[in-house]
Amino acid sequence: MRGARKLLLALSVAACVAVVVGYQSTRAAAGLSNPRVFVPKVSFYQRFSPAMRVTIGDVYWLFAVQYYGEHVDTDHRLDSLPATLDVVTSMSPRFKQAYFFGAFALLDAGRPDLGYALLERGFKANPNDWHFPFYLGFFAYTFASNKDKDRIAAQWYAKAAALPGHLPSVERLAADLYTKGNAKGKAIELWAQVYGQGDKYARDKAVAALDRLLPDDKTAREKAVARLKDLMPASRFDQFIADVFAGYL
Amino acid sequence: MRKVLAVAVNTFRETIRDRILGVIILFALAMIVASLWLASISLGQEGRMMKDFGLVAVSAFGLVVAVFVAASLVRKEVEKRTVFVIFSKPVSRSEFIWGKFVGFGATMLVVVGGMTLFLFAVTWAVARSPSAAILVAGLLVYVQLLVVMAVTVFFSTFSSAVLASVLGICVYVAGQLSHNVLSLTQVSHSEALKAVTRGVFYVIPNLSAVDLRASVVGEGAARWAGVAAWTAYLGAYVVIALLAASWSFGRKEF
Repeated sequence: MRGARKLLLALSVAACVAVVVGYQSTRAAAGLSNPRVFVPKVSFYQRFSPAMRVTIGDVYWLFAVQYYGEHVDTDHRLDSLPATLDVVTSMSPRFKQAYFFGAFALLDAGRPDLGYALLERGFKANPNDWHFPFYLGFFAYTFASNKDKDRIAAQWYAKAAALPGHLPSVERLAADLYTKGNAKGKAIELWAQVYGQGDKYARDKAVAALDRLLPDDKTAREKAVARLKDLMPASRFDQFIADVFAGYL
Repeated sequence: MRKVLAVAVNTFRETIRDRILGVIILFALAMIVASLWLASISLGQEGRMMKDFGLVAVSAFGLVVAVFVAASLVRKEVEKRTVFVIFSKPVSRSEFIWGKFVGFGATMLVVVGGMTLFLFAVTWAVARSPSAAILVAGLLVYVQLLVVMAVTVFFSTFSSAVLASVLGICVYVAGQLSHNVLSLTQVSHSEALKAVTRGVFYVIPNLSAVDLRASVVGEGAARWAGVAAWTAYLGAYVVIALLAASWSFGRKEF
């Protein structure tokens, strides 16, 4: 009798488990979620205490990453990405990764203008990080359509070059773009700086560029070069003169 | 003071015996699972996410323990009639309340301290850089919880344990939003309403004035003078709440 009761109990439990698992397994697999998600305005979250704002920003960061990953290779709809990134970066203005990821994700959303604006906001909040002006220069050069884009990109690269930790190539990029943007004076100054601070490769590049930019006339060239003395260490200036006037000896 | 200490030691032993420290193990398991999960979904930001959500978890786990244990701290003694044995000795009611609070405060120090140390170790392992600010932030979470405990003990002297727990949680939530009450006092046009909201602002503990979570994840630097002033404020609040609890418990008839 007791054995039969135990068996009945075991069968009942097994039946219940089968019903629970069976029901759940017949549910349709979740499809793509709606690309238009309600994201409250930043001003709504600004009312929360500072510590809560950081956590809210981090929750939206996780959401933004999942949202981007889900839609970028499927329906290509990233409608709510700008609003989401706006919340993340407003709640955590020093969360640099959010700006960098956001700017490039907004390219996929077809909004380089918003990506540029996001980076500008990030640079305002993190003025000592050279990555921001570096990426801003890249955005300006690649996606702007006006005739001043070379000069604007060069200005951003020059700003990046003035910040600690920047890549050595940033100054060369800036100088190159000033040359392309017909800002000859600034290009010459930057190339002189590159010469003053760079290694052998950078110095050779600088001399080649300056050779094209400086006047051919020896007197005029001497005048132009004299102005560059303050832009490099005194110990390098003599070598600089020798390199820039190599063809005149 | 000796009597308070005697009650405190007894309370500490009793609460430890209730397997409250199991919360630390639960927390540890939750953090291990969370670290694996966050590493895969946060796009390289697992260190930041661990610190932020880890401290939220320390607060949440601590709040649950603080509120539910504090609510039954005094009531249990009354319901089990053990309070009569205590009061047959030269122990006053206020000494009993203070002793209970100090004893449970020590238990919570072990609980919150254990969770914080584990979080520190996990984030060190995940983010590859130790962040001492987590330890200070954990200490501030503990101070916040002391306030909630004191208020819950006060509620438990005149209401049921369930109601005291609910009220304790409400005070915690209200304390997180207390600066909004101050905003209300500024936008209101009615002088009476302004006075009422200002009164509410003073009564609700300001639990959100300082929180190191933002500086732990790199959003601004901590202002230590502000932290010290806020800690002193919360300490004073705990004393007031316990004095009120002693007064309320002293008027109770068994």
